[in-house]
Amino acid sequence: MNTVVKIENLVKRYGDLIALDHLCLDIYEGEVFGLLGPNGSGKTTTINCLLSLLSYDKGSIRIFGKEMTPVSYDIKKDIGIIMQNVAVFDELTVFENIDYFCGLYINDKAKRRQYVNEAIEFTGLNDFQKFYPKKLSGGLLRRLNIACGIAHKPKLIILDEPTVAVDPQSRNKILEGIQELNRNGTTIIYTSHYMEEIEQICTRIAIMDKGRKIAEGTKDQLKRMIKNTETITTELLELPDNVLSQISALPHVYSADYSGDKLTVCCSGGKHNLIRVLDVLQKNDLSFGRVYTELPTLNDVFLEITGTALRDKED
Amino acid sequence: MFLHNLKYELISSYRVKDLIIWLILFPMILGTLFKAAFGNIYENISTFKTIPAAVVVEDGIDDTIFRQVMDSMTQGDEPFLKITYTDMDSALELLRKDDIKGIIVCGEKLSLTVSGTGSEQSALRSFADQYNNTQHIVMETLKNDPASAQKVIMSLQEDCSPVSSKPMTQGNTDNFIQYFYNLIAMVAIYGSVTGLHITVNNQANLSPLGARKCCSPTPKAVGLGASLIGSYIVQSGCMIICVSFLRFVLDIDFGDRLLLVYISAICGGILGVSLGFFIGSLNKFSFGMKTGLCMTISMISCYLSGLMVGDIKGDIASNVPWLNNINPASVISDCFYCLNIDSDYSRLKVKLLTMFALSAVFSVLGIIMTRRKKYAYI
Repeated sequence: MNTVVKIENLVKRYGDLIALDHLCLDIYEGEVFGLLGPNGSGKTTTINCLLSLLSYDKGSIRIFGKEMTPVSYDIKKDIGIIMQNVAVFDELTVFENIDYFCGLYINDKAKRRQYVNEAIEFTGLNDFQKFYPKKLSGGLLRRLNIACGIAHKPKLIILDEPTVAVDPQSRNKILEGIQELNRNGTTIIYTSHYMEEIEQICTRIAIMDKGRKIAEGTKDQLKRMIKNTETITTELLELPDNVLSQISALPHVYSADYSGDKLTVCCSGGKHNLIRVLDVLQKNDLSFGRVYTELPTLNDVFLEITGTALRDKED
Repeated sequence: MFLHNLKYELISSYRVKDLIIWLILFPMILGTLFKAAFGNIYENISTFKTIPAAVVVEDGIDDTIFRQVMDSMTQGDEPFLKITYTDMDSALELLRKDDIKGIIVCGEKLSLTVSGTGSEQSALRSFADQYNNTQHIVMETLKNDPASAQKVIMSLQEDCSPVSSKPMTQGNTDNFIQYFYNLIAMVAIYGSVTGLHITVNNQANLSPLGARKCCSPTPKAVGLGASLIGSYIVQSGCMIICVSFLRFVLDIDFGDRLLLVYISAICGGILGVSLGFFIGSLNKFSFGMKTGLCMTISMISCYLSGLMVGDIKGDIASNVPWLNNINPASVISDCFYCLNIDSDYSRLKVKLLTMFALSAVFSVLGIIMTRRKKYAYI
């Protein structure tokens, strides 16, 4: 696999604060690479360094095999960037905005017009071509932001939290669009603190915290890194201590907790864990309500590695 | 690439409402207010009116020459004086009733009695002073060279008129015109806000738009150059609209060299944009601070050039003359003074060259400070 982006030992300091701590990343051609982490973990700083917008204290960044600098125009022409904040001209219409940004990459007028129309089609903005950004809803505005970043058909697209403050319907359209771009051969770097999005679209993921990469791999690889393989939750009106002890003693169960009328059993490996837990409850004549089982999430990965839940960090 | 950038710079600029308000509508409103405030005052003091005066000839005085002079002062379409020959008591009564503005008493020397102060009283005083100063020459000429007497008297008649002047140009010598000069200078300096926005839209640490542009393969100097040229064009348009409105709608007389007035205004606008661009490129300050700096410099510059207090520029010229030479608004308004007052272009050339030099320095420094830049913070 060709390496599209290679980051080695990247260090970025803001005064005494270390924003990036010897970060190393390899991103390969054709993958959707996710950067997951809470706010302030260093995702956007990584992207800004990658794009040569931010200076850094140490390390090297190579894109398409070449060193990235502010004047690496031959590299920049193949990169599309979708910023966290919407970056469009309020005074230009939807069409004009896309045409302007596409024109920064594509000189040929006919080709540019074709690309602009394709970007409008791709993002579903056909009916809004003459609208000014202020007249667009949040979701449409985000789609315009994306259209401006992808119109020139780049080989590498970097999306920095593109779905912030977007309604679920628009979010799904955006995610589907990203997957379609990837299917067409584009390498994607996607940053988000929404783990569901990362899980949904990314083929490989790096989890960041406090400027460090704390884990990297496919979602299955990441989940295998942790002890938890299954979490069983059962609604119970009462649970005697001796029954809780029996459940805790079951094979592959490493944690059992009863609180708020809910029994939560965490298992590590093994099969038929749910059946064994329900057997114990039935043998003790305990009636139960809803029962559900969950596979580990990236939040569990983050929780186990850092000791803090990703969602807690967001709060 | 350059033309593409320029095209959209122009399109986006003319759709900015702030630009229309501050660079087009605001000067129009202010100019109209100036016209309303100063127009009548100027009409009153600048429109020549024949001055009514009484003449009292003391007994035993040979008033032949004096009467010749008086005759010349009361002739023509717009005579300087309207004279009533009378005695002193009647003259004082007329003065008390304000039927006349002064009493000219022809004795050994010419003396004058006026009530109150004003331009008419000043004109009478000036006439009396000039008459007395030249009387001695006339008398001496009559004694020594009677043949030249007529020429001397004619000379006296010409010189005696305190309201005649020999203009250096066909320009407008109205004192209140300076407010309109400074108004144009203000519009030009307000261009600094346009210049500031160039940096906002091109620097990654100031806006997401700037960050996106910095990520593109368009060289920064090309993008900045297009933005600068676009802003110069837009600012020039605003300057042309401003001057045209003042000249053709408010009927402000800018003299007979209107084309040069337009050129000077455009140069001023370019200086304003360049100044704002330079301020915006100073990397040490936040955008808010840069905006504040821009507005402060603009307001102080306009204040010191006399926009708010007309006399201040003269005071500065007397006490700290170098300040007028570095104050952009003063340099711009000086151009208009030069055009209106000077018969040649030497001072105007210096002022225009100063503006060009300042614009070039600000623009080049701005581009150097902005291009090829990585930022420590975004």
